[in-house]
Amino acid sequence: MGERYDIAIIGTGPAGLEAAINSKIRNKNIILFGSKELSRKLVKAPKVNNFLGFYNLTGKELKNHFAAHIEAMGIGIVNERINNVYAMGDYFALMVNEKIYEAKSIILATGIEYTKPLKGEEKLLGKGVGYCATCDAPLYKGKTVVVVGYNNEAEEETNFVSELCGKTYYIPMYKGDYKLNSNVEIISHKPIEIVGEDRVTKLILDHGEIITDGIFMLRDSLSPSQLVPGLNIEQDHIKVDRNMQSNIEGCFAAGDCTGKPYQYMKAAGEGLVAALSAVSYLDLTKK
Amino acid sequence: MIKEVNDKNFDEEIGNSDNIVVVDFWAPWCGPCRMLSPVIEELAKEMGTEVKFAKVNVDESPMISSKYRIASIPTVMVFSKDTVKETMVGFRPKADIKKIIQRNL
Repeated sequence: MGERYDIAIIGTGPAGLEAAINSKIRNKNIILFGSKELSRKLVKAPKVNNFLGFYNLTGKELKNHFAAHIEAMGIGIVNERINNVYAMGDYFALMVNEKIYEAKSIILATGIEYTKPLKGEEKLLGKGVGYCATCDAPLYKGKTVVVVGYNNEAEEETNFVSELCGKTYYIPMYKGDYKLNSNVEIISHKPIEIVGEDRVTKLILDHGEIITDGIFMLRDSLSPSQLVPGLNIEQDHIKVDRNMQSNIEGCFAAGDCTGKPYQYMKAAGEGLVAALSAVSYLDLTKK
Repeated sequence: MIKEVNDKNFDEEIGNSDNIVVVDFWAPWCGPCRMLSPVIEELAKEMGTEVKFAKVNVDESPMISSKYRIASIPTVMVFSKDTVKETMVGFRPKADIKKIIQRNL
């Protein structure tokens, strides 16, 4: 296990970057997770005219300014995908596949690019719906299971599932070559709704339905409540107070993930507030 | 502090307890379970006098797991005698679990 960071920031859009530079100015030991591209949405913007101090820039130009700024301050980006963040009490454990990072506080700046849950999914979570096939597959010995996969990585998990469970269906939500065991049945219809009362009974598709005991949803990008179990969500956004504090102590959020309007200036402002709140939180817990 | 319970002694350990019992259903292969167990241990240290804490390895206790319809792990259940008062699915922060236990005291 490596060092425990003061602040882990998840996301390299304007909110995450503004949080990073302010944490750095306050001399905190930070780790920033994201991508070199910073933000896909930013790069795609044709024109930005409402970012104070920058008139008539393309998203790409603005991105280059951001990149130069963090580089000048010696802030690096760790290009790894966080699967889960667990609030352990006095610290957070950030899981990257088999690796774990530790931080005393976290700032979520993940944007809102996640797929909405299916109808019935949240109601039946833990009653047949699961997000960790590796965890729960052994509970479905000899039973029928559907895996809805959003990327290639889901195929490996599906093969594992098919070795333990009974009938296994795979619904790919992407195009490609599927490397699946021969006993896995591929279904090329879209899932619409998960049905069941106190237990999953079937999955309704745009054509037909599947009678099943369990459904695993293996998504590309996680909704904040899946990323950080226990996080309070209100109307699809992370619920925060004026200090950008979520319901979990030491966990802050900033940018689009906290709500509308979805704007660069608002995101950056929230990132600043979140960083300062994280700094106060750290000072308080040190005493 | 945390009692290991299985198919054989579950009813005796949980049903005969005067205190409420917090049961952690887990398995060694499950990552979130490994993260939750130190959290439960801390709670057991803090609340161990008024609440009983137990854990069930679902691998070794398939009967109990299917009786209480465990479909996802970790699952934490709060029992009063043989009645399930609360069910929490998936990892939860310590403060959440504590709040849920406290409202059953």
